[in-house]
Amino acid sequence: MVCGLSQAARPCVQHWAREAPSIRSWCARSAFTTASRSQYAALAIPRAAATTVEYVPSTKPPSARPVETRKTQMIRAYTSMLRSTPLILFFQHNNLTAVEWASIRRELDKALRSVPPSNGDLDIADQVKLSVLRTNMLDVALKIIEFHDAEAASASASTPRTAKGPLVHDLSAVAYDTIKNTPIPTSSAYAQIEPLLVGPLAALTIPAVSPQHLAAALSVLSPVPKKFPAPKKSKNPGYHEPTCQSALAKLFMVGGRIEGRIFDQAGVQWVGAIDGGLDGLRAQLVHLLQSAGLGVTTALEGGSKSLWLTLESRRAQLDEENGDKPNEGNQGS
Amino acid sequence: MITKFMTEVTAKFNPFSPCAKPARLFLTQLPPNARANGMKITSTLLPKGATEPSSVYVKFKDGQEMNFACDKTNIIGLTNECDRHSRALQKKDDLQD
Repeated sequence: MVCGLSQAARPCVQHWAREAPSIRSWCARSAFTTASRSQYAALAIPRAAATTVEYVPSTKPPSARPVETRKTQMIRAYTSMLRSTPLILFFQHNNLTAVEWASIRRELDKALRSVPPSNGDLDIADQVKLSVLRTNMLDVALKIIEFHDAEAASASASTPRTAKGPLVHDLSAVAYDTIKNTPIPTSSAYAQIEPLLVGPLAALTIPAVSPQHLAAALSVLSPVPKKFPAPKKSKNPGYHEPTCQSALAKLFMVGGRIEGRIFDQAGVQWVGAIDGGLDGLRAQLVHLLQSAGLGVTTALEGGSKSLWLTLESRRAQLDEENGDKPNEGNQGS
Repeated sequence: MITKFMTEVTAKFNPFSPCAKPARLFLTQLPPNARANGMKITSTLLPKGATEPSSVYVKFKDGQEMNFACDKTNIIGLTNECDRHSRALQKKDDLQD
């Protein structure tokens, strides 16, 4: 199998070797324009605008990183994961053994499958994954998705172009320069998550913001008494096996990234505790707006009502002062 | 790092602050069977806004206790300090045998 793959890849590698001199010269050129861009931006534009790459194999656009390496492909996998997954929880794992990983994944799977599927949505229990990440590559991927704007880069004149369009993919020289040279604003999501990216990290990826699934995962991975109770021993004896328990002791949640925003443990638990998921939130909002409308109408009515009451009481007072007769006459008529 | 002579490790940190790094890395250096061998390990996570510096507390078999505030030291300093005492205990152990 591996042999077959390597044979299949060979023409590509040979092709790469043939193309190497031209690509190397392109890299040198682009490096030159990068250096000049910072100092003589105005001068660099006409020269950079002429940067076109003549021949590009359709499956292998030129990239700033060596594309064959595992790390580079990890960056691609992580950027795609971060873009497509709205709910990611980050865990630190301290020397878990393979058996412990297996047991924890088994329990997680069991808990997620017990979540009743909400009507109309696909069942996402199969797609929820707990996987170990390379921390440094995740760091680069987070920078790319936060700071590299492919549309802005393709509109810029200094971006190298091919016949098929500008080279603005995640591994491109433009993306590389951007993440290297952009100062990190303290308000950005990356600045918040940066301190988390230390040591061995694992990620729980849930492909939709589903508080029910999140609650089920939390009850297994970081149970909180009353809020997210761990499964009972009578119901789920596998969870209370020593292997699983020792795995859980070595795994702790450090934070989460939900819809691009960074949450700590309490924030993640808050999201997990939303009743009824997004529908529940919508119902809460509708209720809030309705009750606000009710409040406004009563408030607006209240002014005129009190005015009427005051005038009415004043009239009664005046009637009393003028004597009982007309009042009686009024009553009589 | 020599972990043979530790009986208790307590780490307390806010993962969103840069000074959590030594404490978190210290936890990763404990062997996978540390808990099974009787070491008591506790890790406490502080909330996101907490300004309290992270700390590591280590207790050894001879009763020696060490407290580290991680805002001034790094992981190398931490392990060096622990190893220095562990080596002394190791020496004592070797002489007794």
